[in-house]
Amino acid sequence: MVDLRKEQQVINMVEWIERPFILGAEDVFYLVMMAFFVALPCSQLGAFLVLRRMSLVGDAISHSVLPGIVVAFLFTEDLSSPWLLVGASGAGLLVTFMIEMIHSKTRVKQDAAIGIAFTSLFAIGVILVSVYASKVHIDADCVVYGKLVSILDHDSVTMLGYDVPKPLVTSAIVAILTMLTVIVCYRILLLSSFDPGMAASIGYRPRIVHYALMAVLSMVVVTSFQAVGAILVIALLIIPAASAYLCSHRLKVMLLLSGVHALISSVMGLYLYVWMDCSFAAAMVVAGSILFLFAWFFGPADGIIIKAFHRRSISLGND
Amino acid sequence: MDYDFTTLASFTINQKAFLATIILGVASGLLGAFVVVRRIALVGDALSHAVLPGVVLGFVMCHMLGIDKNPWVIFSCAVSIGLLGAGMVRAIESTTRLKSDAALGIVLASFFGVGLAMQSGLKDYIDNRAGISTYIYGNAAMISDADLAAMFWTTFVLVVVVWLLIRPLLVVSFDSGFAVGLGYPVKWLNFIFYTLLTFSVVVSMQAVGVILVSALLITPAATAYLLTDRLYRMMLYAVGFAVASGLLGCYVSLTIDSADVPTGPLIALTAAILFGLVYLMAPQHGVISKSLKVFRRKQRINRENTLKAIYKMLENEGFAHDGVGLRDLAEVRKRSIEEVKLDVQRLRKSKEASFDDAKSGIYLTPSGWRRAVEIVRNHRLWELYLTNQADYDADHVHDDAEKIEHVIGASTVRQLERDLDFPVLDPHGKPIPSVSQTMAQQSDGGSQKGATGY
Amino acid sequence: MNIPALETHDLTVTYHKRPVLYGVDVAIPEGNLVGIIGPNGAGKSTFIKSIMGVVPSSGGWVKIFGKPLKESLHRVGYVPQRESVDWDFPVTVMDVALMGTYGRLGLFRRPGKKERMIASESLDKLGMLPYANRQIGNLSGGQQQRVFLARALAQDSDLYLMDEPFAGVDAATEAAIIKLLQEMRENGKTVIVVHHDLQSAQEYFDMLLLLNMRLVAFGETKDIFTQELLHKTYGGRLTVLSEIAEKAAKQGKDVQP
Repeated sequence: MVDLRKEQQVINMVEWIERPFILGAEDVFYLVMMAFFVALPCSQLGAFLVLRRMSLVGDAISHSVLPGIVVAFLFTEDLSSPWLLVGASGAGLLVTFMIEMIHSKTRVKQDAAIGIAFTSLFAIGVILVSVYASKVHIDADCVVYGKLVSILDHDSVTMLGYDVPKPLVTSAIVAILTMLTVIVCYRILLLSSFDPGMAASIGYRPRIVHYALMAVLSMVVVTSFQAVGAILVIALLIIPAASAYLCSHRLKVMLLLSGVHALISSVMGLYLYVWMDCSFAAAMVVAGSILFLFAWFFGPADGIIIKAFHRRSISLGND
Repeated sequence: MDYDFTTLASFTINQKAFLATIILGVASGLLGAFVVVRRIALVGDALSHAVLPGVVLGFVMCHMLGIDKNPWVIFSCAVSIGLLGAGMVRAIESTTRLKSDAALGIVLASFFGVGLAMQSGLKDYIDNRAGISTYIYGNAAMISDADLAAMFWTTFVLVVVVWLLIRPLLVVSFDSGFAVGLGYPVKWLNFIFYTLLTFSVVVSMQAVGVILVSALLITPAATAYLLTDRLYRMMLYAVGFAVASGLLGCYVSLTIDSADVPTGPLIALTAAILFGLVYLMAPQHGVISKSLKVFRRKQRINRENTLKAIYKMLENEGFAHDGVGLRDLAEVRKRSIEEVKLDVQRLRKSKEASFDDAKSGIYLTPSGWRRAVEIVRNHRLWELYLTNQADYDADHVHDDAEKIEHVIGASTVRQLERDLDFPVLDPHGKPIPSVSQTMAQQSDGGSQKGATGY
Repeated sequence: MNIPALETHDLTVTYHKRPVLYGVDVAIPEGNLVGIIGPNGAGKSTFIKSIMGVVPSSGGWVKIFGKPLKESLHRVGYVPQRESVDWDFPVTVMDVALMGTYGRLGLFRRPGKKERMIASESLDKLGMLPYANRQIGNLSGGQQQRVFLARALAQDSDLYLMDEPFAGVDAATEAAIIKLLQEMRENGKTVIVVHHDLQSAQEYFDMLLLLNMRLVAFGETKDIFTQELLHKTYGGRLTVLSEIAEKAAKQGKDVQP
């Protein structure tokens, strides 16, 4: 087996690059687009989470929508039913409410409150999944790894002469809607993230903005759930935004770069998936993490190297 | 049935599973208490996700070394990767503008992603795939003798180190600036602390799974935090709750028929239910006792307001009568007859008033009279204090006094009397009654200068 | 010539890339009650913290009783600002006072009867003994400050550095604290206090240290408490200094100190 791998290394680069296309050009395109449409809305919302210092609330929500999804699914028995969105948003709001009730009524601080709330909801979700394993088409593995590749087995819709898988259409719609929301509400989100006091004084209610953001977040998490599972969503939320944050000081550029990060990590993820034969979702996260490391070292705004360079030039200037 | 407790071999799978949950309860309870009071609950969460690549690495190394799954190899790989994760959080925080939440999120997500990619991509190098998946959701039944031994000794080291360093760890957690002043090696203590934290994560991950380890770290400790004000006691309680949730969760998972339910979520859910019970019932910090306190205070204030209204009605008539009518009282208090009847019922229950059905009259008992006078006195003293000493206008003081009259105690009243030189009249010209006087004396000529409320 | 209790030379601190303290040279003689006075953001707390090594200094040195901090750490007691700790922390008043004795005990020894006695006595001096078993969160602001001082007292140091001990305390506590500080001075201790109220500063302290990003003046209160020096400290923003600071911060944007 080891010899086989050595042999593979000898094969020229072109084969490596063409390798994914063994799956068929159309399928490759669908997979990348699916990954991208899942990662794109996450990256945009994640930018605001990072700026609002709420990254871990995102993590809490992505874990806790699980019981909402499962309960809704038990009733509708359809993974693409809109009721799943309702169930998930309900669970998302429930966890926000639980966190509030714990840390406002007792002396337990917010971080511990988050920890208690989401672990308990996630535990309920996993228990429901395993108890109803035969009825629910999601299993415990899907929660962890996601099933991005399975979109190819789904029913498809014919568009412009192509058979486009249904889930791809759904996530494309969610991605577009989220982008539109972010563009329309850009100013509100910007101001309420930067200076909630000022935002409140000109009539943007910070609480409503907060809950609206959480609701949109829950919906995006649901649509990503099938593709990447409940746990890796946090990676799609935080890593693109954090990488972009290290590359630019301006929010608009940051949002754009987060989108670019989502695209690159989708393509790179596909390659890693094919090369390593591992879970697609995990491969995407690995790709995203590599991009983050690049941004950390070479980021033009906050990278280690640029700062070292600055320091050098300043100390030279002082001499 | 006779067991030989000296060797693990004679234990059944169930007994081993229970033994394992006791061990991990001790480990996560002890460290969890620190995690909660230091407000780093989510660091615990990030750390527990970050050990996954270490676990996979341990399996791969076992394969490469050509040995069976060895818990010591897996433990040491997991601890190293966990510490690498903690170091990376620090590195991101200190070299970039990213805040701690984002740094935690990045490390949590990327390490977990890498772990999953390794796990699914390196199938060929992992002997026992079923073994590794227990590390994600936890399965107490899969714990082998070797695992149990490794868990025990790791926890043993953890307990000894915590026991030796408990005071320095306490000071560093409470006031790290002061710890620097004491000359403690704060950086080393923190390093030791994070190493211990990783130990406790590693000990629990097999039975609880890396995703939910943080539940066992945070929830029992938070439960204990609601019950005690002492850190040492909190640590003991946290261990108790962690062991209890471990045992209960484990018991349910071993007994239910559909064996597919993993242990981790059951343990996490049990811990959450225990938290919920304490959240509601805790004697001091529980929600029920708190709202009960609020309810009782509201009742008392209502009673006192009724007494005050009766006193004022008697006063308006120059204390000519010794009782007031139900209907009149309802009018003064702006309430319906039924509501006032209820109020009077409560006064009768507290023996502060009696009710004469025949005359439909309410009479104050001596204790009721005393309380009524106290309240009116508090009210008028406070009004006087606000106008004389705090320069309030006389028409601005009533609302404030309505609240203060129920809360000031005997010592404050004496202080007010002294500051105001034992006054006789309030700013509106009404007499400030003296508690020692009976109703008859009151009607004779009000209070005299020099009288005290007590 | 006596060795000064505290001596700093060219002590400089940069904070988040921004210089907050410039080349402070000062030698504080033993047995004095010294107030550090200056406007908000003048670096008063930073000065104390950098002496204690809580905030790293970027230049200069500190000597305590003629030795570097490390060697004379056991002779220094530090009282941080009250807001710097979590008052919900599950410890009692007694526990906090006991912490004062931890420095002598090293990392592993446990406090015994003697340490408990010392802690009780310190609490008693501040009138906090009746509260010994209370959780610290159930205290008023003044009482919390008294507990902090009791902890310092239990340390039995020769030099004390206190960060705003009078902030947010009631009049009775303020009087109790100043009485205690004066008593400490009578016993030959050196006490250095960050203080924010100009009016009381004159009557409380023997010596004053005027600080505004750099040392403005240091000496006997009667020599220092002059219109001119106070104006120099408070009046007129230090235009040149803050301009340079601003410039340095901009240039060094994203450059770690």
